[in-house]
Amino acid sequence: MKRFVGMWLVIGAVLVGLVALFYAFYALAALAAGVAASLGAPPFYGSAIANTVTLMAVLLMTVAALLTVAERKWSAAMQDRVGANRIKVFGTALGGVPYLLADALKMLTKEATYPAARSRLLFELAPVLAFAPTFALFAVVPVGPSVEVLGQQVALVVASPDVGLLWIFALAGLSVYGTTLAGWASNNRAGLLGGVRASSQMISYEVSLGLSLVGVMLAYRTLNLQDMVAAQGNSVLGPVPALGILLQPLAFLVFFTSSFAETKRAPFDLPEGESEIVGYFVEYSGMKFGMMFLAEFVEVVILAGVVTAVFLGGWHPVIFEGLLRANLPPALFGAVCATVFLAKVVLLCWLQLIIRWLLPRFRFDQIQALCWKMLLPAALLNLFVTGAAVLIDPSLELLAWVGIAEIVAIFGVTAAATRAPARAAEHGHDHGHAAHAAGH
Amino acid sequence: MPYQLENQPADVRESLYFPEIFRAIGLVIRTFWRNAFFSRDRNPDVLARDLSRSRVTTVMYPEERTAYAPGYRGLHRLVPRADGNPRCVACYMCATACPAQCIYIEAGEVENDPIEKYPKKFVIDELRCVVCGFCVEACPKDAIRMDTGEHPAPSYERVGQIYDEKRLLRGPPVSYDYDPWLRRGADLPGDGMKRMRDLARPFASDAADEFSQTPGFSVRALASETKAAGRGSK
Repeated sequence: MKRFVGMWLVIGAVLVGLVALFYAFYALAALAAGVAASLGAPPFYGSAIANTVTLMAVLLMTVAALLTVAERKWSAAMQDRVGANRIKVFGTALGGVPYLLADALKMLTKEATYPAARSRLLFELAPVLAFAPTFALFAVVPVGPSVEVLGQQVALVVASPDVGLLWIFALAGLSVYGTTLAGWASNNRAGLLGGVRASSQMISYEVSLGLSLVGVMLAYRTLNLQDMVAAQGNSVLGPVPALGILLQPLAFLVFFTSSFAETKRAPFDLPEGESEIVGYFVEYSGMKFGMMFLAEFVEVVILAGVVTAVFLGGWHPVIFEGLLRANLPPALFGAVCATVFLAKVVLLCWLQLIIRWLLPRFRFDQIQALCWKMLLPAALLNLFVTGAAVLIDPSLELLAWVGIAEIVAIFGVTAAATRAPARAAEHGHDHGHAAHAAGH
Repeated sequence: MPYQLENQPADVRESLYFPEIFRAIGLVIRTFWRNAFFSRDRNPDVLARDLSRSRVTTVMYPEERTAYAPGYRGLHRLVPRADGNPRCVACYMCATACPAQCIYIEAGEVENDPIEKYPKKFVIDELRCVVCGFCVEACPKDAIRMDTGEHPAPSYERVGQIYDEKRLLRGPPVSYDYDPWLRRGADLPGDGMKRMRDLARPFASDAADEFSQTPGFSVRALASETKAAGRGSK
């Protein structure tokens, strides 16, 4: 019971701390915007530079690094274990967080070994190419709303280009190079195999990744992620907000699955395949391996961020939003919204970890079949249905009904399909063979 | 025991695939909730743990330890008499029985006693010992036991694993009615002889007898008691 109370206290303290942190981010962005304005440049330049530092270098890196710890502790909790707890600070393991420093120290101080027959330039370039595009993806993800702080209108987003989603597709496509080149440049059979697997898998899934978001583009009539998040605050069907997951549940499933495959993590971890080929980074050591490793976690965070922004309403708290907006000063409202965004992101990272532990690795043909035979037709179907619904009723109400119908269908099928075998399992306990025979 | 599974075609539930994933997500979330938000039962007896909340069965080894089974064979000890001398009479039975030949004994004669011997040297090489317990079985005087519940302490040198009679002689003393030195009498100061006779018990014919097993005896516990009493050797 002590632990129960303690966990909730820690969660509460972290949330309050995050609100304070985002408040400081808003103040920094506003100050930078003020400096830029006083120098005669557009104020947006200043806040963009401040946000690059605060959001990408501090927030994204910290969350991704903490995710390496979370992977240990959360996985342990899912598997009835205790998890990393041997590094103790003042007698407590601090939830395994000190492992972060130990990992960093290990990565930075380990000897970097080089295969003699490597391709010198590409070998050095590959970790950068794996890391940089994923990292830059976060630039278009809106973390906080646009509010007026210290006389400046600032938002917690690095850049808000009108090509937002295309930027995501382009950079997600670029990140193939890092893995493929790493496999090629190592001059190692296992590494090359991993690189080839990575390229085929990522290029396949990019198709369904892109197609699944076309429906969202149609529904919100924009590619700009900030506008898209703002549009999700509008209501359809009375008080119900126009969340992406409500309007496009099928697209959510397809996008989540395909971007999961893009992150190359289990159950889509064929490019790594620790038990067969070590993977495209088999020849990398020290911090070069660390960059590959970190890029994977950054990808997880960014996938969660994009899904949050496109499907889960981004920074919208969804409930109590009007109340918060009316009663809080703008900067504090923005900070609360940004905290809500981060909470959604962390929840999605957690969901990815859950899926990682409950599915075994796919076979290669299963991966391709899932992409081309399931996700791609589903994305196309979703595109046609969305197009028709938006054409008939531009107010999105019909689309919302279609989405609700899809959600009900998914849950109904799940409930219907899970109830019957549960009974069979009970029977199987008592008299196994009879139940088997009856089942088929 | 392995058993043959029939190769069955996938049923509706399995071929739909996603319902099972959703169900499994619920399962993992429940497990996560139990283990992350509720504390682990720290009972060292893992099987007796309350798993209704947290299901973690980990024993945090250096801090928590499971109790060894009663029959566990730990580090040897030479059992002392009540006067502090070893019960051992240097009969070489243990050294003869030892399959690893790790026991080395040099016998000496007790002064003022025409027949009794004692071990001038009694050395066990714990690196060679295979912990079979044959020496304990072979001993006619119940002079060597493996009831410390301890592993040989780690050491940086091989010499550290060679235990001589000074290191082996420890633990609570044992006396039996039939002990010849009780019947003949020995040269002890004060009422030492009387105390030894008072301690004496009938010889245990049952291996599970309390006295013959010294239940709960642990050198570690003894050491901590000594330390707590301020009589530590260091």
